[in-house]
Amino acid sequence: MSYDNLTALLSLPVMETWMFYVLSALAICLGVGVLHDRVVIRSGFILIGVFGTIAGFFLLLSAQFLAMAQIMIYAVAITLVVVIALMLTNPRLEAERTAEPDDDNMPAMAKFFASCKRNMTLWISAFSFITLYVAISGENRWPVAGLPVAKDQVKVIGEALTTTYSIPFEFSSVLLLAALMGAIMIAKNEPLHDPDEEPKKAIEDSKTQINNLALTR
Amino acid sequence: MITQQQSVVAPNALKPKTTKLGINLAIAYSVFAAAVVGTFAGKSFAPNGFELVVANHYDLWFCVGLALVGWVFRSVGGHKGAIITMTILSCFIILTLNQGQLVRYLSLSALLFSMGMYGMGQSRNAVRVLISIELMLNAVNLNLIAFSRYVDPIQLKGQLFAIFVLTVAAAEAAVGLAIVLQLYRNTSTVDMNRFNLLKW
Repeated sequence: MSYDNLTALLSLPVMETWMFYVLSALAICLGVGVLHDRVVIRSGFILIGVFGTIAGFFLLLSAQFLAMAQIMIYAVAITLVVVIALMLTNPRLEAERTAEPDDDNMPAMAKFFASCKRNMTLWISAFSFITLYVAISGENRWPVAGLPVAKDQVKVIGEALTTTYSIPFEFSSVLLLAALMGAIMIAKNEPLHDPDEEPKKAIEDSKTQINNLALTR
Repeated sequence: MITQQQSVVAPNALKPKTTKLGINLAIAYSVFAAAVVGTFAGKSFAPNGFELVVANHYDLWFCVGLALVGWVFRSVGGHKGAIITMTILSCFIILTLNQGQLVRYLSLSALLFSMGMYGMGQSRNAVRVLISIELMLNAVNLNLIAFSRYVDPIQLKGQLFAIFVLTVAAAEAAVGLAIVLQLYRNTSTVDMNRFNLLKW
């Protein structure tokens, strides 16, 4: 099957819906796994799957260049950095969590409020999702253009990056350079005293001792 | 067994706890009363808003029912992660099945964004907080690319913005993980509750 046939198949509405729901089921399951897994390093590896499914969404939206960039930058580079950071720190922190003692003397209302207080972030995020959904959904809210996708997307992106968006492009390259230099500077382990200084000091001490010996004789 | 344990505990040991509990209860009841009063007052200020949401989004109330069913299963003693996942997934399918293509992608990215927000607030490991931030940035990218596909398919401004978001996310991950490593070297922990150096 050639590439054009594949894109034609994917542009069918039924097929796109099915692919969307399969990919979204994968993304939601893996996302819950990332947030919910007790072993942090396993959640770091599940993150690869989340980023891969989001690259699949980009392919569904016919953004091939962004899908490849997503796989290269997110699913490989950033996950690699995260996993290395997990290996260098203590990943068994979540096991040390002690459950809060449940007070049996509390009335039911107070128990309910205590659980609300403990799960405050859950309520806030659920509320924010419902608000976003109510704001997003609704008919004719977005000016959807029924145009087909441009064939030469990479050409359009490259021309825009080098002409219209050239200044942000250069600034982002400077930002990357500065951020990587800063990361190296921050992460570099600087010892408190220079290790090269000690042998020099020993040599000088021995020299002064020899001088002193010569002087005493 | 429970009655024995209760009888063992001396009444004096409970005294400071009960006063603290009383204060907490007073605060909680006042917040609840304020929420109820605020709801009705807002209804009187904007008479049609709340009813409009209720009438147009009956599927939202169905999802609330699903969440309650999941909560009942969880309290009975089911597997917590599976129940959470199935509840979120079924709610998502119910909410987006009747919508257009763009709204589906937007609601998926809203869901991923709020999941990242939950992880950022709830997790104690600093690296997991960074992972959640990456999840949120990915949701934003999905949003931008959906807009560039359905609203602006000729000039592709959304994809260009997504490229810049990708760049900034890479820089953010490098600097954030370096900071976490340095903090671990100095304090020998990655617990977010102990990073209170800049608190006051």
